[in-house]
Amino acid sequence: MNVAVRTGTVHALVGENGAGKSTLMKILYGMQRPDEGTISIDGTQGDFHTPADAIAVGIGMVHQHFMLADNLTVLENVVLGDEPRGGGGIDFKAARAKIKDISARYGLGVDPDRLVDELGVGERQRVEILKVLFRGARILILDEPTAVLVPQEVDELFGNLRELKAEGLTILFISHKLDEVLSVADDITVMRRGTTVASVAPGDVTARQLAELMVGSALPVPELRESTVTDTPVLEAEGLTVTSPDGRTVLEGMSVTINAGEVLGIAGVEGNGQAELVEALMGIRPLQAGRIALRGEDITKLSTRKRRDAGIGYIPEDRHRQGVLLEATLWENRILGHQTKAPSVRGLLLNRSGARADTQRIVDEYDVRTPNIDVLAGSLSGGNQQKLIVGREMSGNPVLLIASHPTRGVDVGAQAAIWEQIRKARAEQLAVLLISADLDELIGMSDSLAVILRGRLVASYDPKAVTPEELGSAMTGAGDGEES
Amino acid sequence: MSASGLAVGVQETVAPPRRRTSPMIYFLLAIAALLVVSLVRVLTGAGNLTSSGTVAAALTAAVPIALAGLAGLWSERAGVINIGLEGMMVLGTFGAGLFGWQWGPWAGVLAGVVLGAVGGLIHAVATVTFGVDHIISGVAITLAAPGLTLFLAKLYFTDAPGGGQKQSPPIEDVPHVTIPGLSSVLADIEQQQWFFVSDLAGLLRGLTTDVSLLTLLAVVLFFVTAYVLWRTAFGLRLRSCGEAPHAAESLGVNVYKYKYAAITMSGALAGLGGAILAVASSQFRDGQTGGRGYIGLASMIFGNWRPGGVAAGAGLFGYTDAMQLRGEGAVHALLLLLGIALLVLAVVQLRAKRYVVAGVATVIGALFILWFALTDQVPPELVSAAPYVVTLLVLSLAAQRLRVPKWIGRTYRRGEGG
Repeated sequence: MNVAVRTGTVHALVGENGAGKSTLMKILYGMQRPDEGTISIDGTQGDFHTPADAIAVGIGMVHQHFMLADNLTVLENVVLGDEPRGGGGIDFKAARAKIKDISARYGLGVDPDRLVDELGVGERQRVEILKVLFRGARILILDEPTAVLVPQEVDELFGNLRELKAEGLTILFISHKLDEVLSVADDITVMRRGTTVASVAPGDVTARQLAELMVGSALPVPELRESTVTDTPVLEAEGLTVTSPDGRTVLEGMSVTINAGEVLGIAGVEGNGQAELVEALMGIRPLQAGRIALRGEDITKLSTRKRRDAGIGYIPEDRHRQGVLLEATLWENRILGHQTKAPSVRGLLLNRSGARADTQRIVDEYDVRTPNIDVLAGSLSGGNQQKLIVGREMSGNPVLLIASHPTRGVDVGAQAAIWEQIRKARAEQLAVLLISADLDELIGMSDSLAVILRGRLVASYDPKAVTPEELGSAMTGAGDGEES
Repeated sequence: MSASGLAVGVQETVAPPRRRTSPMIYFLLAIAALLVVSLVRVLTGAGNLTSSGTVAAALTAAVPIALAGLAGLWSERAGVINIGLEGMMVLGTFGAGLFGWQWGPWAGVLAGVVLGAVGGLIHAVATVTFGVDHIISGVAITLAAPGLTLFLAKLYFTDAPGGGQKQSPPIEDVPHVTIPGLSSVLADIEQQQWFFVSDLAGLLRGLTTDVSLLTLLAVVLFFVTAYVLWRTAFGLRLRSCGEAPHAAESLGVNVYKYKYAAITMSGALAGLGGAILAVASSQFRDGQTGGRGYIGLASMIFGNWRPGGVAAGAGLFGYTDAMQLRGEGAVHALLLLLGIALLVLAVVQLRAKRYVVAGVATVIGALFILWFALTDQVPPELVSAAPYVVTLLVLSLAAQRLRVPKWIGRTYRRGEGG
């Protein structure tokens, strides 16, 4: 694998999940050692054992998952590892002045004395960038910096990057969002299965060509066929109000209705009440007020178990924490959530053969790539785990499917398969609640769209007539939604 | 990413800006608390509640617990649970016994510190290098230490002058200091039994008269800890290891090194606490620590992983312990005090909209007041349990929004960060 980056440019590195981008970055930043090969900075060969070596030659890294300690202030996070000393302790005054200076020079707008816990995602990212600049880095590596940002924040980030570039800094930008790459990069390198497959200039390719270079084949598109929406309401939730354990209202008087054969998409910046909405519907979180009905029957007081039995399928947003047991076999995972129903049980006992047979059916029908059903769920790729979850949740004839980030972190093939299953569910007259951070997915897969902001539904849109930018402004509270 | 199961999907949630409580508020709270105690003294006639003798005894009782709490703070701030504090304290008491009777108290204290640090080092090797579960390693140390020391005690103390199979020969005490002049003036005021003024005088006199140098050392260590952990680069790095070790690693911090330093320091402080306990009671005895390591751990949690809070928690335990030593009448007055304290707590919790906690506190508080009103003394069997009951009640009901170091109890491996 070879890559060359010119000084003073934004160089994008694109590739699918698992193409080796993050591994490459870790090697460049000294977090892993290469088995073979060399790295040269300005002609001199570098040998990085630890991140400290990389920092010393001016390489700074902004990680995909923020490397910040929430319970420390911005200042503490920034100076950590490179503290200005004075009088036996940290020279807080000098540090504060330097941070304010860098923040003003590149327009980052960071207040050194706030707790990181209190900052939003965009601000945290700017703290990460500041952290790197504080150490005098001349080469910045940004690992999927836009994955967690809404379009407006992405624009702000790109503004910051252009300022950095104007100051002569070099930026290595890793992403799989191709529109963004095309708009900000000067050079693009494409990776697939651990090797470089192409180096192109952004003017010479379209996003689609780039995508095909990335996956080596044509891409799936999120889209729905003809409308199957009926006027039989399946889920009717009225006035849902939820408060968090520390007393904040996280969901306020929310009302949602989904009809049979309808996919309702919920757009919003993460942390605005999506998780609470889903958990309230599933009966995981207690309601302060409100009423939930499934097919006209009040389920407000039912337990999660009873709600699932009444016909709710649930694809949780974090499959490792809620979806599967990584240390259990596939057929054991099949039983989870269906431990009271055939074919998983017979009388009081588990029905092993029934569960195994049904797991085999899911593996076949949902194209779960696995050697057999006795392997541990943890040995499957994220996409295959997710397909197993979808298959499990679709068994037992649900009437409502709650899909929370169903394609997050899965490969293109699995993404297409999961979309296809949602289409099938819709065609079978299920009501689907779709929550996603991928705006293209939301727009393509929804019959109607609503935007959630600070625990309220603030706007609704017709997915056929809305652009990601419009959604993005509504998500940050900047735009006005039309009532549809 | 986050450890708690409840926080599903709200990782990006923005916390509300934190209000910082100013030192003035704490000062006013302390004054208010003293006013209440003073009122209870007048109502019950239990002069012991604020006498200088009680305060001095409370201070002596609080110091080993405070040091255990401080030891826990060092370790947990670096992300390692140290439930082996009890065992490290035991090592400290033994070190003080072994060296103290032969070469004087200071040598004993030093030996206690060293032995405690060795205990800490073992915990560090187990948890940091070998990734053993922190609780298991800690419990192992707590179980092994008394057995080891008892064996060694039989070996070294049985034939020593004044020693026995389970105890060391007597150790001399370290010098005590008194602020000259002030003490007698305060004593006069204390005699007057004035509301509040005499109580304040009793409190101050207890804190300034006949104070062991080891107590002063403990106080100094609290300030040193606060400075080192919050004002120096070393401390910032150490705390970052307990919050986000992979972030620290990505900035070139050697996380293993800081964890080792923190846990060894933790063991040394626990050992010091044990040594002070042995010196203050003039000898090493088997089972001398009596769960103080755990109480220290509890006071650290109550104190929200901050030195000031640890001191307050340890002070509370020390005070009730001292009251228990004053006998049944004092403990009887304590019932009323506890009842009032719980009712105050209930109001605080009510304002924070924690209705269940407020309800429980009200009921228990009312029961204590009722108990006080309907009886003349507490059964002697219950007296010795008083410190534990009081500590448990107050710690569990008062603990509000605690901020646990985020990476606590988890194994860290270099290069596994994402």
